[in-house]
Amino acid sequence: MRLPPRSPGGAAAQPRPADYPFYRSRLGPDGRPIAWGLPDLEAFAVAHPGDPFAGRVLPGVAAPVALQLEATGEPPVWVALDAGELNRWAAVLARIWRRWGCAHGETIAFFDYGSSPLVLLASGSYIAYLRRGAAERLGLTTVCNDGVASMASRMVGILQTVKPTMLILRRDLVAPLAAALDDAHLSLAGRLRWAAVCEPEGATTRAEVDTLAARLGLPLRRILRCDGAFLLAGDCPDCGLFHVDPGYRMQALAAGEVAVTTVFAHLCPAIGYNIGSAEIVGPKCPLEPRAQRIACG
Amino acid sequence: MSTRTARPKNRLRLNPGPVAEPFDDLDRLTPNALVQWWVRRLRRVLKSAAADLPFYARRFAQAGFYPADFRGLADLQRVPILTKADLLAAQAHGGSHRVGIEQSAGGAQARTILSLSSGTSGTTYITHTARWRRLQGLASSRAHWWAGLRPGRPMILSAPAWHSYAAIQPFIVERFGLDCVVVSGTYLPRFADRIVDALLRFRPRFVTMFLPMVFAILSAALRQGIEGRRLFAGVDALLVTGAPITPGMRAHLQDLTRVGRVAELAGSSENLLAVDCARGAGLHLVPDTCYAQVLDPRSLQPVADGVRGTIVHSCTVPAGSLYLRYRGGDMGVMDHAPCPCGLPSPRIQLLGREEDSFSLGSQTLLPFDVQLALEEEVPELAGVACVITRESLAQGRLRLLLLAPQRSAATLLDGARIRLARRFAVPVEIATAPHLPLRFKGVPPILSESEADAAT
Repeated sequence: MRLPPRSPGGAAAQPRPADYPFYRSRLGPDGRPIAWGLPDLEAFAVAHPGDPFAGRVLPGVAAPVALQLEATGEPPVWVALDAGELNRWAAVLARIWRRWGCAHGETIAFFDYGSSPLVLLASGSYIAYLRRGAAERLGLTTVCNDGVASMASRMVGILQTVKPTMLILRRDLVAPLAAALDDAHLSLAGRLRWAAVCEPEGATTRAEVDTLAARLGLPLRRILRCDGAFLLAGDCPDCGLFHVDPGYRMQALAAGEVAVTTVFAHLCPAIGYNIGSAEIVGPKCPLEPRAQRIACG
Repeated sequence: MSTRTARPKNRLRLNPGPVAEPFDDLDRLTPNALVQWWVRRLRRVLKSAAADLPFYARRFAQAGFYPADFRGLADLQRVPILTKADLLAAQAHGGSHRVGIEQSAGGAQARTILSLSSGTSGTTYITHTARWRRLQGLASSRAHWWAGLRPGRPMILSAPAWHSYAAIQPFIVERFGLDCVVVSGTYLPRFADRIVDALLRFRPRFVTMFLPMVFAILSAALRQGIEGRRLFAGVDALLVTGAPITPGMRAHLQDLTRVGRVAELAGSSENLLAVDCARGAGLHLVPDTCYAQVLDPRSLQPVADGVRGTIVHSCTVPAGSLYLRYRGGDMGVMDHAPCPCGLPSPRIQLLGREEDSFSLGSQTLLPFDVQLALEEEVPELAGVACVITRESLAQGRLRLLLLAPQRSAATLLDGARIRLARRFAVPVEIATAPHLPLRFKGVPPILSESEADAAT
């Protein structure tokens, strides 16, 4: 197996999965890497403490951008991207926001860490080498509060003063925000086009999102996030499933799980990342008839 | 740097003097030529503000100030002073974060992000357009060049996304062609382990960090059995921000980290920027985008060099949120004397916040003064975590709560008490605590006794 083709202008010689220590350690009989998840990456990192990327970046290759994976424990594992990959990942995020609805000149607010890809990919102001962030592609203004509960009242101030029409917040911050909104006698109903809830890894279950939505008093969108595979997907307001960008290839695994390969990731390839229990659903969503879809959570 | 960021007009005089590594020709101006350069920039920005921003047009008219009459820096005295209270009032009145000081924020190419002001007196919002980022990014690149940043090893992004510095650091990374390292989480002590990992993995040569976080990551490293010198191995320059550092604190940091150069970067989200002189003779104002004055807090007239006053600064480029004669509440001193390093811009030192000023005996002081006095009188106490209790100040005495020194505690503290009492001519009491938060290192906070008890 060879890695997904590079865009024009990329390196001439394509490395194979076997060239990467992490994948070399887990090649199946067919020569393809066996699907893996974060625990596999963490285990490799523990066994190879000198490699911040846990065997997924070729030795000696420069990493213009290195991101520490929030969802990994000790030692934290890092991923790497070049400028082109960063821009393609940002395009994925822009397509999610466009599907959920936004208009040029509106503002999107984040109640999350600045290190979250959802924030970083929004604007070239937040990370180096990103030419066109998702917000810049859509003509949006961004504002980011810090993703800690003690900043909930400041988030309320942002909602009152900046009046964003879109909000992305971490699941663990919904309760503090709701309490701060209560204190301020402020209702979110009618203030936002949409709000979306995210996790450091995976997606909040639909049942929990429903509970959180009731607490906040507005519908919440879901985000599927796996930074180790550069995966971002948003659920669909129409069919309720996650629409998966063409930048990812999906593969059903035997145990009712789904693996994702990220087409645009070359510097730090993501081949066969197991996102866990999920089901690939055929296209034909009325909103995006050609979108590949998965059901999870 | 190979590429210029500013091209002074040919008629401005360049100084053939001793700037060892100028960032560009702006660093080689004579002080007088820099004044001319500032006058031109300020005239342009004042005209732009009057023409484009109703907020300023109204204020200028009310003050009887006409930008066309602006001839020299002394004319700035006629420009009304702007405070955070003014901005908060405008924000409340308009019901929007946009108060009318934002240049070109709504344009299709604006690529706007907002950052939030610091402080406890209310949040204002700072607009950053693409033009703002380019101009401020170039100014900050100069500041980082002065502080020792050079092309080469990676740079760790070290500002939370709500802060205006976060909108600058990526530009600097690109400008110097560095690899960019993003630590997960945010810059709070509980994430210090993650920063330790980044330092050990990527071995940057230049580290910039908020002062309290430096101690948090040193502490986190020690918990892993890693001493400061090992954590910072290979780091040539440590640039600390967020608090004024005393000479003793600088030496303390050097002792802990073994970094050759510990520099201070001072400023505000509203555009003030100054960075340590390479010769260690103060902080040079970064001239590209700001001009600053030190004024008497009551008369608002400029004070002489070395006299403490309130800092008022003006943005010299019309981009993003435009702060003109902004009194942000920082106290400081200015020094216009020629600097041995050859840079033309005056040196400024930020000493603390106006609201933290207190009277002790016949003097008006800042917590910085207490920190400085402590280390000057008893050098062994340099860098110690310390609290000033509010009740004692109200009673005309100084009571300090210190983290107990490990060695010769009784002798040191007794000596400190006697010498501080002599220095400030007030009764001094020093108590010790077994524990004080690391965030108290640097500049001692003023807390009530109950707040101090809760913190120990």
